[in-house]
Amino acid sequence: MDQTTLQVYTVLFVFATVVLVYTARYFQRRGKRRPQRRLAGMGRIAEWTSRSIEANRPLHLALGRTAVGEDKTAIALAEAEFFHHIIEGAQASDVAPIISASAGSSLPLAQDTLRRVWSSGDHLSRAQWYPPDLAYAAAVTAMMKEDDPAAHILAGSFGAELALMIDSADRRGQGSLAVSDRLDGQAVAYAMADEVLIGEELFAAAGCVSEDGRAQVDALVLDVWRALVIMGVGIALLLEVAKRMPWLNWALVASVSAILLVFALLIYRRH
Amino acid sequence: MGRGQRYGIALSAFVAFAVGAVMTLSLLLGDNPALFGDQPGSAQLAGLLALPADVLLRLVTIVVALSILIGIANLLYVHVGRLARGKAYSAIVLASFGFTVYWYVMRPGDTSLLEAVQVPIESALAALLCLSLLHGGSRVLGKRADIWGLLFVAVVVLVLLASLPLAELAPIQAWRDWLMRVPVSAGARALLLGIALGTVVTGVRALLGQDRSFRG
Repeated sequence: MDQTTLQVYTVLFVFATVVLVYTARYFQRRGKRRPQRRLAGMGRIAEWTSRSIEANRPLHLALGRTAVGEDKTAIALAEAEFFHHIIEGAQASDVAPIISASAGSSLPLAQDTLRRVWSSGDHLSRAQWYPPDLAYAAAVTAMMKEDDPAAHILAGSFGAELALMIDSADRRGQGSLAVSDRLDGQAVAYAMADEVLIGEELFAAAGCVSEDGRAQVDALVLDVWRALVIMGVGIALLLEVAKRMPWLNWALVASVSAILLVFALLIYRRH
Repeated sequence: MGRGQRYGIALSAFVAFAVGAVMTLSLLLGDNPALFGDQPGSAQLAGLLALPADVLLRLVTIVVALSILIGIANLLYVHVGRLARGKAYSAIVLASFGFTVYWYVMRPGDTSLLEAVQVPIESALAALLCLSLLHGGSRVLGKRADIWGLLFVAVVVLVLLASLPLAELAPIQAWRDWLMRVPVSAGARALLLGIALGTVVTGVRALLGQDRSFRG
């Protein structure tokens, strides 16, 4: 694919996303709300928030290596939105949550997220910077001892160093929910964290922990794109299979596709 | 919310939208004369369109580079506060920071402190990480007692076995190669595709000035 074609497709894709966002908002304003998809582990966040309020222990929200101003800016914004709703739920606590980051450019975002919900207190010391990678993991484990957080929401860009943090939290009886945009970090999160989000669930999480219409619309648009990509991949696969098996005919392929689509829709609606 | 605050929010949303739109158009249309056909001057036009993105990206690079100073200032602020509350670890952090700065001012170019302290500590942490991973891996089935947890453990065991340099394990190595080439590669692509879709949706939200940062 040459550069011009790629650029045209990119413009069309962005434009289609804008149209989808506004269409979803239009239907939402007219009261046609679609139930938000459930994500495993979201229920535990409410439990940890209650524990944080009752025991006056902070929640720890970690951005990891996600940096504003780099190619992970959108991930940082999605995390900030997710954290905003978690902090909103913990407003009744006497202790403000701690947000840690290993990118200096994410600190203003972290402080802004805290300031929006937490009207009083020292926001500068609750948003904390540590050097990246293993040094970050070491600093966070030290913080786990000093501040004794009720739980850790580790949503960001992490590598294998996530294992040190989750292991330490586990030994101290502190809960953990983890997700990473990196494959090594995601594998560690799946194996070790109490609760795990996988890949794009990070972007849908804000809509799951709140009733905020905008966050739910974003999650819905993400669902639509996801379904379209799955259908596209499925059709491409079927065409490839049909090419290799000359005895297949279009009617059979179309029938099987239709049955699979119905099954997929049924499973999707049940969840 | 006061009128001034409302105007401030509207202004910041407008600036975000304007900068986002200019940046997107500049990145998409700039530096690609083929988009404008064989017209004379199409190369200059493409170069001109690429200019805003170039300038803004340079600005971002400078700001991001400076952000390390924000991080260091925050680290010092947090640990001075903790020291005031009698936390001993913070005294060590601040003393180490002061000593390192002193060392590099007095002996510029000398990396012996880095080699004697930083490298061994990071190596020790890496060794600890290995143990933590092993410990975590051993408890997967305790945390995820379902078919997926079982599959996870089975794949880990298979990959570890296939890594052993034994001729008897050649069939397992072939399985490992297939696993890495087909299901692992497909899963990794699916994850990255999902993240890319999420990035686009969040990017569009920011581009439309709808992100919480611009909503006050």
